[in-house]
Amino acid sequence: MKGWTGNILRINLSNKIYKKETFTEEFAKKWIGGRGFALKILWDELKPGTDPLGPDNKLLVVQGPISGVPMPNSGKTIVAAKSPLTGTYGDGNIGSYITIQMRKAGYDIIIFEGKAPSPEYVFIEDDKVSFLSAKEIWGKGTFEAQDWLEKKYGKTAGILSIGQAGEKMVLYAIIRSMQGRSGGRPGIGAVMGSKNLKAIVVKGTKEIPLADSKAMRDRGRADLRKVGEMDKKARWSVQGTNAVLSWCNEMWALPVRNMRHSHHPDAWKLDGQRTSEARVATYGCPNCTMRCGIAILDKEGHESEIDYENVGMLGPNLEIFNLKQMASLNYLCDDFGMDTISGGSALSFYADAIDQGATTGDFKFGDAERAKELLRLIARREGIGDFLALGSLKMAKKIGKNSEAYAIQCKGLDLSAYNCKYVPGQALAFGTSAIGAHHKEAWIITYELTYSERGAYGRDKAQKVVELQRIRSSIFESLPICRFPWIELGWDLKNYSDYFNLATGSNWTIDDFTKRGDRIYALLKAFWTREHPDTDRTADYPPRIYFDPSIADKEGPAAGKHLEYDKYDALLDHYYDIRGWDKRGVPTRQTMESVGLAKEAEQLAKVAKVEEATVVSGSREQ
Amino acid sequence: MKIRVILIGQFVPRLGFSEKVVEVPAPFTAGDLAAQLGLGEVNKLMAKNGRGIAGGEPLKDGDRVVIAPIFSGG
Repeated sequence: MKGWTGNILRINLSNKIYKKETFTEEFAKKWIGGRGFALKILWDELKPGTDPLGPDNKLLVVQGPISGVPMPNSGKTIVAAKSPLTGTYGDGNIGSYITIQMRKAGYDIIIFEGKAPSPEYVFIEDDKVSFLSAKEIWGKGTFEAQDWLEKKYGKTAGILSIGQAGEKMVLYAIIRSMQGRSGGRPGIGAVMGSKNLKAIVVKGTKEIPLADSKAMRDRGRADLRKVGEMDKKARWSVQGTNAVLSWCNEMWALPVRNMRHSHHPDAWKLDGQRTSEARVATYGCPNCTMRCGIAILDKEGHESEIDYENVGMLGPNLEIFNLKQMASLNYLCDDFGMDTISGGSALSFYADAIDQGATTGDFKFGDAERAKELLRLIARREGIGDFLALGSLKMAKKIGKNSEAYAIQCKGLDLSAYNCKYVPGQALAFGTSAIGAHHKEAWIITYELTYSERGAYGRDKAQKVVELQRIRSSIFESLPICRFPWIELGWDLKNYSDYFNLATGSNWTIDDFTKRGDRIYALLKAFWTREHPDTDRTADYPPRIYFDPSIADKEGPAAGKHLEYDKYDALLDHYYDIRGWDKRGVPTRQTMESVGLAKEAEQLAKVAKVEEATVVSGSREQ
Repeated sequence: MKIRVILIGQFVPRLGFSEKVVEVPAPFTAGDLAAQLGLGEVNKLMAKNGRGIAGGEPLKDGDRVVIAPIFSGG
């Protein structure tokens, strides 16, 4: 087999037994890598109802066939587990040297099982695995932990670690690497903490097996130069992702005050120009050609690496418009190892619930100092922090009083920083994202606001969501690789199939990927259904507040407008129809069989209702 | 006609301003405006008064036009 190493390293943390296993080429070509591998393994190996924070959950670190090879932006790794936030499959991608080191150590997949008896970190050096005490870094933030591990193993060692939030199992804890990279929004850091696993360190010395090493090396070198030059010419890295903030504000799609508002006159104080002017350093992932990590100094003088999602959720969403204060909140989230999006959303939900009289407490929108105190309490799960550590949906369920309506989440995962209260297609993208509301799944908001009628609920929008879910699930999450050169610089999608073919000796087209994207998406939704057998279409609804006329903007391009249930349902019907799912949003047996999931359909039917065939409302489009 | 132009992202350093009022003759379209600014052949998003527009969109005195690069999220 070429491209893939074909190896799985299975590590049991409870009894410290590890073994090398192999996977077949058939498995590799069916699931590609990254998300595809993780999803299939967790489907096969986790019993329905497994406690996400119990020892029976499994933490996977996964690569793909072009991971770590010298080509543009190939430094991404998938971390995956059953999510404590959503109760279904969850994953994230993270830029890290572990991408390269794992492949050089000879593994595409590492599976962590069980729970270490005391805090540990694991050091993997080619075929050797060491279980080491983490007592010197347990209780420390991710910056100190990474620093300590880098001093011991070198700056280019593959290191993943968690902060105090992961140790204390804050439900939206993430995994960190390289002092600035984060991944695993659905609480994958909490799963790592539940296993008493502070860090993973990998070093490898082997060759990555490639079908055509010379062609890969030559093309990779040329493209690294080419895409780097494209970025220099386009000047994308000058503002990086935070350029999006101004656009969202101009289009009235900015998260403001727990998304009750969609525009703010002070948003410019946090925009891409301001963060670019305040920049003290720029960081990126391994093999990056367009570094997006813009570091600015926070109020306390720390370097705080920001991108748009951080700024949006910790700035306007909390009505904090002081750049340094917003940067402080971002720094604390990064150091504690918690998701800035869900962290920002938990805080904004709390302030909103107090405002609405649903609960009492000492926090108001705009209070940055109190927000910092709350983040510290969350990371330690002390006092009110223990409640805020649950994420907005579980907080709302505890509060009651209709507060779930303004918990800004889908399936338990909080929305990224795009206010969709009058953007139905993007609301559909968040609603149908099978891992919860994540912008990496299908980001159609620019299409919708530029090339389509904003308030329309046409089939074209459902088609666009499906198209992007196919591409992102199969190419960007499963190879896995960074999407920025494709969209931001217009680097042709065909480049990714070219590299895949050079690595594996295959002759795939983009269609070969997107067909697998349908398989992956069907199994993602089957996973959700297996864990939530009573699921219905409301699981694919955006936050209820978006349908509330009372929060419609009073001015601007969406003045007086809000989502409407009957129209959204019609849009959802289009989506299900295109996907071949039933009216509850569950893949039918016919659909699962058509994408090679006959056995999985049988397994699903044992715990949940599976319709035989789709109730067709129009022509199927594949 | 006076049109307020707002640039976003890399277009700011590229053209050296983030916001200014430009004088254009009538009739004038958004595409004409982009071309006049040297952004005619560049992949971009455009909006007028908070609504997404294509290049053929006619402009009128007092319009606010935003020109942004293509994004895929943060």
